Amino acid sequence: MGFEALLQALADIAGGGGIIYFLSGIVLGLCFGVIPGLGGTTALALLIPVTYGMVPLDAMYLAGGVMGSTAFGGSISAILLNTPGTAPNAATTFDGYPLARQGKAGLAIGAAACASSMGGVIGLLTLILFIPIAKAIVLSFGPAEFFLLTILGLTAIAVSVRGKMLRGLIAGAVGLTLAFVGSDMILGDLRFTGGLNYLWDGVPLVPTLTGMFAISQMIELALKGGSVATVGDKDVAAMKITGVGEGVLAVFRHWPVLLRGSVIGTLIGAIPGLGGTVASFLAYSSTVQTDKHPETYGKGNIRGVIAPESANNAKDGGSLIPTVAFGIPGSAETAIFLGILVLHGMDPGPMILLQHEGEIYGLIVAITLASVGASLLGLAISRFLVLITRIDVGIVAPVVIAVSLTGVYVLEGRMADVLLTMIMGLVGYLMIRFDYPRLTLVIALVLGETAERSFHQVQQISDGHALQFILGRPVATILLLATLMTFLLPVARKLLEKRKVLRN
Amino acid sequence: MKHLLKLGVLTLAALAAAPAQAGYPEKGPVTFVVPYGPGGGFDTIVRTFAPEVEKVLGATIVPKNIPGASGTRGGQSVARAEADGYTIGIYNVPGLNVAGTLGRDIGFNLDDVTWIANLAESKYAVAVAKDSPVTSLKDLCGLGRPIKLSDTGKDSTSSIASVIAFNQIGCEINNITGYSGSNDTMIAVMRGEVDATLKPISSLAKYTDSGDLRLIATLTETSVVEGVPSTTELGFPELAKLGLNRVVGGPPNMPADVVETLSGAFKAAAESSTIQEWGGSTGTVIKYLDAEQTDSMMTGVSDFYLQYKELLE
Repeated sequence: MGFEALLQALADIAGGGGIIYFLSGIVLGLCFGVIPGLGGTTALALLIPVTYGMVPLDAMYLAGGVMGSTAFGGSISAILLNTPGTAPNAATTFDGYPLARQGKAGLAIGAAACASSMGGVIGLLTLILFIPIAKAIVLSFGPAEFFLLTILGLTAIAVSVRGKMLRGLIAGAVGLTLAFVGSDMILGDLRFTGGLNYLWDGVPLVPTLTGMFAISQMIELALKGGSVATVGDKDVAAMKITGVGEGVLAVFRHWPVLLRGSVIGTLIGAIPGLGGTVASFLAYSSTVQTDKHPETYGKGNIRGVIAPESANNAKDGGSLIPTVAFGIPGSAETAIFLGILVLHGMDPGPMILLQHEGEIYGLIVAITLASVGASLLGLAISRFLVLITRIDVGIVAPVVIAVSLTGVYVLEGRMADVLLTMIMGLVGYLMIRFDYPRLTLVIALVLGETAERSFHQVQQISDGHALQFILGRPVATILLLATLMTFLLPVARKLLEKRKVLRN
Repeated sequence: MKHLLKLGVLTLAALAAAPAQAGYPEKGPVTFVVPYGPGGGFDTIVRTFAPEVEKVLGATIVPKNIPGASGTRGGQSVARAEADGYTIGIYNVPGLNVAGTLGRDIGFNLDDVTWIANLAESKYAVAVAKDSPVTSLKDLCGLGRPIKLSDTGKDSTSSIASVIAFNQIGCEINNITGYSGSNDTMIAVMRGEVDATLKPISSLAKYTDSGDLRLIATLTETSVVEGVPSTTELGFPELAKLGLNRVVGGPPNMPADVVETLSGAFKAAAESSTIQEWGGSTGTVIKYLDAEQTDSMMTGVSDFYLQYKELLE
């Protein structure tokens, strides 16, 4: 088992006809990744009927190709247009877009490509290392741990607001309020739905994200005019596209950032329900917090691109940990992957690794190869992609808006989603104008529901003695300490600096 | 690939043959609405049945996922469609019946749905962790405190079944809801944060096979799992009436001949070796009922849950 099966899967994918499915998966994944509003989940959901007629292993190659490549596709739009192609790429915009505006898009794309493929490989190695203890990992994360992880994620908001604490808290509070809309997961009561059937399941995430990031950014660009890469009054066309190779090398130069990002990605990926957005955001915030010069971030620090992109691809390896342990999905994508297995008459469960070793390893290999393949493909065409930043926004904005609204509609086929996207686009634009952080609102929206639900569950399970219950669980205690650290570390650092100044 | 070709050829052949017969369904593809997302139980059974039904029906079946609002959005869109047999849907029974009984607005009238066929049925069982000291329902009730159970939502079918079942048995429960899927509710039992869970036997099977969970009773008339007593044997015959059905229906007032054609196609599909094998390998109990039987079953289900209206409120 293990490496033997891995090699077998490698040989199968290289030798068989599966490579065609694999390559189509990569191209499809890249396209769905680049387009805001569309993502890996949509691509896989649309592919389900197509896979029906396939041999299971071919279906795995197709799914793996898609899963491994959407992340990098999304980073391209994040860097070039300040519009994350998929939700997890939102953190990449912080430093990727400033780099693009400085004419260093090549550097950023090179780094993103290399970081995502390396992240994918590290995620895979971590997964294989963890397979023997996968069950123990899954069983040590219950509602108490979920709750503390979401709190840890919420504390990271302090990083995303970058100095504008009050505005950040306001945006975060609005995000939390939006998270509480819809039917209460515990009691089943409807809250703040205003009688709208549409809001029963809460404020839908994809339309909100697409509006907040893609639409608002396009409004902003369109009103400003010019092109993305405008540096003062300099003629942008005169600037050269360079630095792709430098970007690739930068990843290896900053290997601790890569490693930390990948480990965070794998761990968050292993926890069902948190997903890539939280993984890449936590990787970004921890990189900023532990850096000696946190003030350089948000202005085009390459480390700010490496951290989220490595986490984003490593999470796919992590999200298979619950799958190999119990046959349960660790992410929306793995949920669809398991659906494909069921469709083919298999019944994924705790024995999945014994019964369907071929399919699982096929998927693992396909995801990893896809994250490398997508990056290579991306690098090959990066020269042309970067040209997007020189096109007049009068052309870019309408195209992006039309394509992302279509993407949102495709997801579930309801017009109300398109309407919500436009409303959120307007709200997002106002937030840009009045300088409120948008990612803070989105992070709170993503985490709010899990935070509330798991806290409620802990209360019930522990018969009202939540703190005692938490302190009785080792992982929960560690997470509690980590949360306290994120609050105390900046304070401690400031005190130390003051003492240094006094001494001098 | 070969399968895909075969499928394509079959579909083409079926399509070519269709014009020879008069009337339904020669006007083209039949939309089969799934009120949940792709990859789930309802989606899977629809996509597994679709090619088999196509063979008999001679029209393409297009599964369409319309998830949301506890499975009511899909039902609503079927209710609004034309009653010509080109739009049908699959329904969550008894989830929707209970919602109706409790006076919740599901956006359409369940009594008006034209029932076409019942495809499958699941019965429940109570499971505990492998190393739990609890070995019987009696042990479970004798914990000296409300039994902690795990479920996805208060209005989920298994949660409703738990409330009714333990009320009949006569012990108090604290049903902890909010888990994100039925698998998570079973993992919660393994983690030890709850005492037991009540879930469909077919869903529990993979965890009992692997030895992570242990059944203490099945909610059936006779014993269906070796060494595990049924609730009827334990003296609670009402509990065997609890179950989960996957039922096909269409818009109100569908023409009788169209319903007959459709039920016939579903019958042939249910009896096909492909479906039988699939049912066997995934632990799905295929149970075909024709339009008339399904209709009376639906009335029975609604009446059954009406008795427990006060308990569920």
